[in-house]
Amino acid sequence: MSIFRKWVLAIAMFVALIVDGICSFYLHQFMNYDSFGAASVILPISMMLIGLFDDTNDNEIWLAIGTGIVADIYFYGIIGIYTVFLPVSCWICQKVARFLPEVFWARLIVTLLGTTVFVAYDWLVFKAVGLADASVYTLLMSLLVNLGWSAVVFVLVYWIWGNLAQDYPFLIDLNAYRV
Amino acid sequence: MKKFLQNKKLLSAFIIVIVVLVVLGGSVSLRKKRNTPLLIQSLGNDIVALGTRIVDVPVGWISGGLNSAHDILNTQEENNHLKREITNLGQTKVRNSALEKENRQLKSALKLKDTLSGYTLVNASVISRSPDTWSDLLTINKGSSAGIRKNMAVMCGGGVIGRIVEANAASSKVELITTTDESANRFSVQADAVNGKTVHGIITVTSNNNLAFTQVVDGRKLKAGTRVYTSGMGGNSPKGLLIGTVTTTTRDSFGLSDQIRIKPAGDINDPSVVTVIERQVAN
Repeated sequence: MSIFRKWVLAIAMFVALIVDGICSFYLHQFMNYDSFGAASVILPISMMLIGLFDDTNDNEIWLAIGTGIVADIYFYGIIGIYTVFLPVSCWICQKVARFLPEVFWARLIVTLLGTTVFVAYDWLVFKAVGLADASVYTLLMSLLVNLGWSAVVFVLVYWIWGNLAQDYPFLIDLNAYRV
Repeated sequence: MKKFLQNKKLLSAFIIVIVVLVVLGGSVSLRKKRNTPLLIQSLGNDIVALGTRIVDVPVGWISGGLNSAHDILNTQEENNHLKREITNLGQTKVRNSALEKENRQLKSALKLKDTLSGYTLVNASVISRSPDTWSDLLTINKGSSAGIRKNMAVMCGGGVIGRIVEANAASSKVELITTTDESANRFSVQADAVNGKTVHGIITVTSNNNLAFTQVVDGRKLKAGTRVYTSGMGGNSPKGLLIGTVTTTTRDSFGLSDQIRIKPAGDINDPSVVTVIERQVAN
């Protein structure tokens, strides 16, 4: 069971990856405003929340890299979007969490900033490699739509990841420290 | 330079950026060039697809229930529409049967085995979609084990919606026809003009994500409502798959060629069940 406890967060990230794809498929029609759409950002928000809730566990960077590679291959067939963003965002959130007030609103602001950077980075990579060609205006409008959806997703997953990251840190069995 | 090499943090960051760019470039190149994904990639995709199919079951029930409620609300309107359609159906079926028989006899007389219009169908369900708004990628629950190969056309709701870009053993990725991917294979299409001639061209995507029939010699002879379908000349899709109907014909911004806007016939926004088209004629 101790091995299972160490890997709970990894299993939860795998489920988050699957749910991200399914939500993107079923909610696609509702996530568009005019011709501008929001991205499904369950996975980036989950990783940032893990970094914000558990800022002392370096293993989570490896979790972010692993999740990023699987997500990139599954969703796009290219490596460099989630593989870069997830570990970098987790690392930055861990650094920020050391001076950030441990309150909902502070974490919401950091996460909204993070998802905005994620969508912009996503756009930049796709434009650079020629896999998509959206204008800067489309990007800016999509960022606005994205902010609204990110806030909704954040509220829905905040307590889930808070409990998971604190009770089941990646590759650490907290029971070993309890007497 | 010496200072740069001595600064370990800066040097590490520089190396990481280089590695990321190399991996990104390499994976994009592999995606474009390879007809089948690497074994490890295919295995990873199929494992995630299996998990997705499991989670998708309860979500599908909920979504199906909501759709059923929506369908019930539209029943009367749909019933009236179908009654109007059914009056023509009997005659169309008889004519279709006669034409099929005649077609078989003519092919037999000419000793033709495969033509551009020959194809078989593989039905599949959509289980996932790429989370971003820039790439139009769907994941379906059938792969190379069901006969699906890269570049096959995909239909939904009576029209073409995209093409297979990656075929794993038990899942595949579909790139929608509305993609702005520069390297995407474009559909070679044709339409019948008012003077009886056939107009050829290709399908491209305009800046505001609309479909357009381009590289047309004389597009002004195409009236609004004209059906645009695949010509089978591209080497990947069979002839006769409906792409959409002509809405407007305008000159492009340079005034040099016609830009014909097309209303897609396929259900691009909500494709839950799709049909993959396997072309039968040898490429």
